[in-house]
Amino acid sequence: MPLTLRRRVATAFGLGSLLLTGVLAAATWNLAGDYMLRQREQSAVRQAEVNALLVANSLRSGSEGLGELLAGLTSDSPTSVLLQRPGGWITSGRRIDPTVLPDDLMDEASAGVPASRRLDVDRVPVMAVAVPTGGGSDVFVQLFPLLELHRSLSFLGVVLVAGVASSGFLGFGLGAWASRRALRPLAELTAAASRVASGELHTRLPQYRDRDLAALATAFNDTTEALEARVRRDARFAGDVSHELRSPLTTMTNAAAVLRRRRAELTGAAGQALDLLLSEVARFERMVVDLLEISRDHQQADGPTGEIVDLAELVRNVLAARSRAPIAVEVGAPPPVVQGDRRRLDRIVSNLLDNADRYAGGAVRLAVLRARGRVRIEVDDAGPGVPEDMRERVFERFARGTQAGQRGQGGGSGLGLALVAQHVRHLGGRVWIEDRPGGGARFVVELPEAEH
Amino acid sequence: MMQRSTRGAPVRSLDRGADGTQARLLLVEDDERIRQALGLALADEGCEVVEAGSGEEAFDLLETTRVDVVLLDLMLPGVDGLDVCRTLRARGDLPIIIVSARADSADVIEGLEAGADDYVTKPLVASELAARIRALLRRRHPADAARRSLVVGEIEIFPDEEVVRRAGTQVHLTRTEFRLLVELAAAEGRVVTREELLKRVWGYDYFGDTRLLDVHIRRLRRKVERDPDAPESVLTVRGRGYKVSGTA
Repeated sequence: MPLTLRRRVATAFGLGSLLLTGVLAAATWNLAGDYMLRQREQSAVRQAEVNALLVANSLRSGSEGLGELLAGLTSDSPTSVLLQRPGGWITSGRRIDPTVLPDDLMDEASAGVPASRRLDVDRVPVMAVAVPTGGGSDVFVQLFPLLELHRSLSFLGVVLVAGVASSGFLGFGLGAWASRRALRPLAELTAAASRVASGELHTRLPQYRDRDLAALATAFNDTTEALEARVRRDARFAGDVSHELRSPLTTMTNAAAVLRRRRAELTGAAGQALDLLLSEVARFERMVVDLLEISRDHQQADGPTGEIVDLAELVRNVLAARSRAPIAVEVGAPPPVVQGDRRRLDRIVSNLLDNADRYAGGAVRLAVLRARGRVRIEVDDAGPGVPEDMRERVFERFARGTQAGQRGQGGGSGLGLALVAQHVRHLGGRVWIEDRPGGGARFVVELPEAEH
Repeated sequence: MMQRSTRGAPVRSLDRGADGTQARLLLVEDDERIRQALGLALADEGCEVVEAGSGEEAFDLLETTRVDVVLLDLMLPGVDGLDVCRTLRARGDLPIIIVSARADSADVIEGLEAGADDYVTKPLVASELAARIRALLRRRHPADAARRSLVVGEIEIFPDEEVVRRAGTQVHLTRTEFRLLVELAAAEGRVVTREELLKRVWGYDYFGDTRLLDVHIRRLRRKVERDPDAPESVLTVRGRGYKVSGTA
């Protein structure tokens, strides 16, 4: 899987800073090591020369104190001293086999030039300084251990490696932070776009000061604004049409009521025509009322809602207002309560009951339950059920399920379940259809539970 | 002035009260066809309908004739329907039902705040309207008829005389506000649900508009509470309804 843009930027930052600090650390290591070694060498040579002078004086006076002097030279420091005389080696301090000394060192010193070498003796790094003494026949050799210096150098090494590693991590972190900052507008755009896709058409991006981003934001905002205006215009058109229908419909329904009362006065074809007219006026009215409800909902957000509603009580009330023999309501304990517009809840329940009446011979079970912070209304019927592929579609407007064309008497507006879905969405819930155990359909409405 | 006599054969007549005469309605509506159709249908429901095409016409009519209920459209030529409503309410407690095509919450609340007793939206049928009218004209007697008066805190209610006193001073309530208060007081501190109130005061079987109740409770509190924002007598019971506190 390719790395994300952010991860790539962070990695580049990390590698870059690792490389940079690595080079710097290597240079520091070399320069510092070199410098420290040279310093040590110079001081070693100076000290060896002073000691060689002392030895030369002692040799000149031919005194007996040479052994004592050599012992004194090595008493307070962990060095070794060797004196090559024509008669052999005199040593003091830590025992050293003179053969470990490189020949070229001794040759140079014998030729009268002080010389120094770094070498390992018994696995201890030392600085060997050879100085001609005693009139040129003798060579004074002193070995200075370099343990201290090596320790310092390895400590420096550890510090440098740690520095390089942490600067690599720091670089990665900085890269991650910087890229997140730089890409934040992109994240905002993504979030805004998905909000728009989910129906929040009033979503807008903030005005960025950056010119490139400002152009992007403006383009996005213009697009959503145009989309919102379009959607609102369409919704308003449906609403306006329905609204204009209110007045003629009022005239029609009342004139129809007057006629219905005198139905007996009309016989034969006229009476039949009147029946047709009356039932269609009734259906027309239901349709307009539902259309008004569905389009009003699009135009206006909820007013002051947030009423606490005892759902079981509400369901019982809806049932009591219906002409069918009321069925018992199963209620969870404690009684589930929801927060929302009571009129929406009324409509949800009564439309589901209407639906059961119309297509499945009426509801056979009604339950108001609670589960995991949510409240459920279940409306069961013993009808033919709803096939899987229709279970989403029946909630669309003017969807008529498998019974298409079968409108029968008192057909619905085709908006009942669409209104249910819309109201449930407004209340922050979900609605779906299941199989009822034992045949038939179960309509389930799940809503967030209100705090008691 | 247009007046329509009852035609056809009314199934039942709409009693105005104890004397049994027909209810006289003033229908204020500018759409001639609606006026005619609604007039015919209401006559069938047993009402006597007097029609007016504008607010001004309605005021003129009320000078010369007595009506029991006003049915008021909001979109009127000339004086706006809401202003007509406010003027009528300022003059007295003549029951007013707003019959409007506007169904937005803001419109409903504005109409009720203007003093209307009920608010119904078009399209509507005369039978439904007649039920509203019947509920408005029904006199409410408390359950316990023997009882002369009800007391809620410093509020004293005399159901028979339709008089309310707060701390000895008479408070003027509309008929609907009065009946709402009596219903709550008669429950003696028990909770009365919204549905019960809608049914008993407005005659809604169900699907009553709870905004109707909210606005009337607000109006009632403004008249009987010392501080309407911190009510002491008419209390809201969250999620259930209303109750009174301090019954004697």
